[in-house]
This record gives sequence, structure tokens and C-alpha cells, in this order.
Amino acid sequence: MTDTGPVPEHALKRLAGLRRAGHPDGVFTSDFSVNEFLLVRKAGFEPIGLCVGSCIYHLGFQFAGWSSSVELDVLSTAMYEARALAMERMRQEAKEMGADGIVGVRLTVKRLEWDSKILEFVAIGTGIVHAQGHQGFKGPRGEPFTSALSGQDFWTLLQAGHRPLEMVMGSCVFHVARRGMIATLGSVGQNVELTNFSVALYEAREIAMERMQLEATQAGAEGVVGADLHEGSHGWSTHVIEFFAIGAAVLRIEGHTPEDLPDPKLVLSVNS
Amino acid sequence: MTLRPPAPRPEAEARRHAWAVALEHNGLPPFVTDRLAGAAAGQGAWVATATPAELLLMKTHGIRPVAAVSGTCWYAYGRSWTEGHAQGWHEALKRIGLEAVAAGANAVIDVRMRTLRHRIRASMDFTLVGTAVKVDGLPPSPHPVIATVPALELVRLLEADIVPVGIAVGARYEWLGSSWAGDRRWAGAAGWTDRAALIRTQRATNVFSGNQPLTDLMDFWNAIRRAAHADLRAAAASQGNGVLAHTQFGQLIRQERDKQPPAYLGRHIVIGTVVDAKPNAAVPHDIEQVVDMRDAVSPLRGGSVSRHAVYEGDAMDEEGAI
Repeated sequence: MTDTGPVPEHALKRLAGLRRAGHPDGVFTSDFSVNEFLLVRKAGFEPIGLCVGSCIYHLGFQFAGWSSSVELDVLSTAMYEARALAMERMRQEAKEMGADGIVGVRLTVKRLEWDSKILEFVAIGTGIVHAQGHQGFKGPRGEPFTSALSGQDFWTLLQAGHRPLEMVMGSCVFHVARRGMIATLGSVGQNVELTNFSVALYEAREIAMERMQLEATQAGAEGVVGADLHEGSHGWSTHVIEFFAIGAAVLRIEGHTPEDLPDPKLVLSVNS
Repeated sequence: MTLRPPAPRPEAEARRHAWAVALEHNGLPPFVTDRLAGAAAGQGAWVATATPAELLLMKTHGIRPVAAVSGTCWYAYGRSWTEGHAQGWHEALKRIGLEAVAAGANAVIDVRMRTLRHRIRASMDFTLVGTAVKVDGLPPSPHPVIATVPALELVRLLEADIVPVGIAVGARYEWLGSSWAGDRRWAGAAGWTDRAALIRTQRATNVFSGNQPLTDLMDFWNAIRRAAHADLRAAAASQGNGVLAHTQFGQLIRQERDKQPPAYLGRHIVIGTVVDAKPNAAVPHDIEQVVDMRDAVSPLRGGSVSRHAVYEGDAMDEEGAI
């Protein structure tokens, strides 16, 4: 704080209506909250623009037998490729505006009410560049890095000595077999595990996780933080489930030592 | 005994007339101006939407609440639903600004965007409500800033030399193949006619076609979105140098047609808070990492309340997790 008071002179002038100059050049746009904006700045970065990529995708058809537990690879491929295309378009926008990377990426799938076979995939995030006095970093192959981390998580990750590299994902659409008539009748009134269902879910989840991990390894990442697994059915029949794994691949910041790690303070706030 | 509607009281009639005159002349009725001027002069109680914690912070930073102010515009869409939204919000912004000036304010804070969820033909009400505040030692501003942030965030921004100054809106719509020639702005923009694109799209979406991205539709949709964002930037440029906390609303609608491939309507609205920030300014405070020992709650995770709930319901419609 300065001796002129807690609010800087520059800001006070604007509040008094004395300074009303617009900035015709260089307006940044971002969907950051106030806290995110301040923390990204604190981390040595400036937002430059909202990056959006979308992909409208027509899903092919695949038949699965009544009693077979199989991966529906046509749908798996579709769900992965559509997301990858949306992300690629977002990354392209970031590149065009000269961003170092994108943080706060949200990936959504939207069903279009007029056609059940068409899905819209949208990736939205804020492109950021390093401010003066910060060396900055990029993603794999010198492309902008991408991450779903919020501004708060981004700051904390950097404090922890890691930097985001790329959003990694894996998708597996699985058809879970229906149980046969005889098996169903045989278990009436009994407590039994439905083994074929268990196995199908295990297998599908495993495939999605493996694919994500492979992608991280290929990107040269050291690890993946914030890994999450989503189960979803995008208007498909009841026995078709998508398992989708997503996470932020990270890399160690060179020269960051354990001594640089801050020691968090424990507090117990009373205003609950 | 017959039931009869009560006769309008003469003073109610006079107030209604005053409102009509005021709206027509882009002004305020005298009783509103009087109330706000009185509040500015310190007569009567002040009104603030701030919580006690916010009030404390306002006092330490010399910010004084004056009065609650609002701006409303009930707008019917003529030719364009999309552009109607942009116009409706602009009108409401102008009106809340008038009230803020009448209250001798430097800023309106905690501004919320509201609408009633009515279904009265093709219309919607655009309402902004907020708290007009004065900053100690400053003269009243001829153009008070309209800040969508509450006092807690306002103070944090001001300390970092960032002023939230207003709201910017970007709104665009286009037709890909329309029965109405007046709407054909898109055709030929990318070097092909919309008819060829429509036929390609129709072929790609039939039941037998396999996995594929719908490139024509994507390009069309992206162009609308980009145009809406360009509008947002342009609207923001006259007030500040950045936009935060976007809210977006987009819709892609298919229109079936007789003996022709279906047409598509895309519309996109983006709204954000405009800030005036010194580029590359440092954040003055040190950040300390704390671990809150309360269960389930953490100050780092506590989500702030959304400032504009107007598009929330619609935007989340049909949208699934990842």
C-alpha cells in the first residue's frame, strides 16, 4: 500500500470520471473470475483472449449383439476425434493470437435437439501470455499448452514446481451385454454379483485410463494431475456407456528445488 | 352490488404519466431524481446490497453506499431476437447510468443482470440492479462506472489498479440457407453458395453416413461466434481494455423445408464485465497459502455467486458433462 491510500491514483481518476479514454487497440477477453484474473497475473501471465473451438460431429452407426460386451470402436473413435478436433481448433485460435497457452479449458458436449446422431463438442479457455520479466513456457512441439486448471490451480501448480503441458484424454464407448434368460431366472431371489456387468465396467474404464496415460507419455509428460473419469450416455440406449478420462499432463519446472516449496499455513476460519 | 375496478387515484395517474415522459426523453421522473438527490445529500437511510463483511471493507477504503439504483427495459423483438438482446441490455445500462448520476455516485457496484421468466409473446425484460456508491474525496462522476462485482471483489481489483467499468454485449445471428432473402448474409462468404453447403450437410447427416465432422456447419457456426466476439471486443474497447467473466449463449437450430435441404439458424450472445486495467501491473499483495481446517469448505474453493443468471438456465440446457 502507498501513502496516497489503498486505492491507486490511476484507478481513482477513473472513478471520478476524469479519465474516460477507451483503448481502441488491445482489448483482452476472458471468462476469468476476479480471483482467477488476479492469480494468473500474480503467476506472471496476462490473459489475451478467449479461445473457442467447436466441432459438430455426425456419429456413425454400430451394431452390437444383444449378449456381447464389446467396445463400440466406431463411437469411441467418434467421441475422441470430435473432442480432439474441437481442442485443435481452440489451440489454433490461441496460436493466431500468439498465446503461450490456454488455461481454464472447459470441454462440453451438447446434444442438438433436432438430430440424436449429431453432437456438438465445445472447448473454451483463456489464452495467456507471459508478462515482462517472466521467461514463459509452451506446450509440446512449441505449440500453446492447454490445461483445464482454473487460475487458482494454475498458480498453485507453478508454486509446486510443475507446469502444465497438455490436456490428455482417453475415451471408450462400451456395450454392456444383457444377461441371458436362464441366468436371470437362476438368480431370482438371490443376492448375486452380476459378474458380466462388473467385468464390462472394469474393462471399459481401464481402456479409457490406459489411453489417457499413453497420450501423456507420448507428450513427454512427467505426470498427470487432476485426472478424472466421467461416465456418460449421450442419448444412447441403456446398455451403451461412455467412459471418458481427462487430466492435465504436467512437467517439472527446471531449477525448482524442494526449498522453493511454500509451507502452507493451517488456519481454522470462524466465519462458516 | 356490482364489481367495478377501482378508479385510478389521481397521483398514481400522475406518476404513470411522469414515467412515460421520462422514458421518452431519456430522463428520470422528478420523484426518482428527488429521492436519489436526497440520498446523495445524506437524507434518510442509505441502502446497500453489501454484506457486513463487505461494508467493513468499503469503510476501510472510503467507499460509501448511497442508494439502490436500477434500469429496466422491456423489449419486444422485431426482426431479430439476437440483436434485440444487445439493444435491450444497452437501454437498461443507459437507464441505470442515469440513476447513478442522479445519486451523485462514482460507481454502481454489485450490479446484477435480471430477467423475469415470463412468456409474453416475443419479448423479454432486461433489468439491472445495483448499489450506487461514492468514493470519499472524489467529486461525483459524470459517467459512473457500472461494476458487476460486489464490494469485496471491487476493492481487490482497485488495489491492483483495475477498475471494473461496465458491461459489454456481443450478439450475432446468421442463416445458412433461408427462405427469406433479407437474411442471406452468409451466402457466398467463403466462396461457395449456401446451397452446396446445405446439400453436403444433408448428405453427411443421413442415417447411413458414418463418423464425420460436419465441416460446413462448423465453419458457419464458428464464423457467427467469431463475429459475436468481435462485437464484444468493439463494445468493450470504448470503455476499457479487457473483458472478464463471460457468459455465453448459443443455439443452432434446424429448419425443415419443403423439397429443399433443411436450413440452419445459428445465434450467439456473449456478455462480459469490462475492466480498465493497467497492462502488466503487478499484484500488490503477497499470497499466502493456507489450508482451512474446516471440513468441506475451503476459501480457495468457495465458488462466487454468478453475477448474471439470465442465460444460465438456457445455456446449460441439453449440455452434458464432458
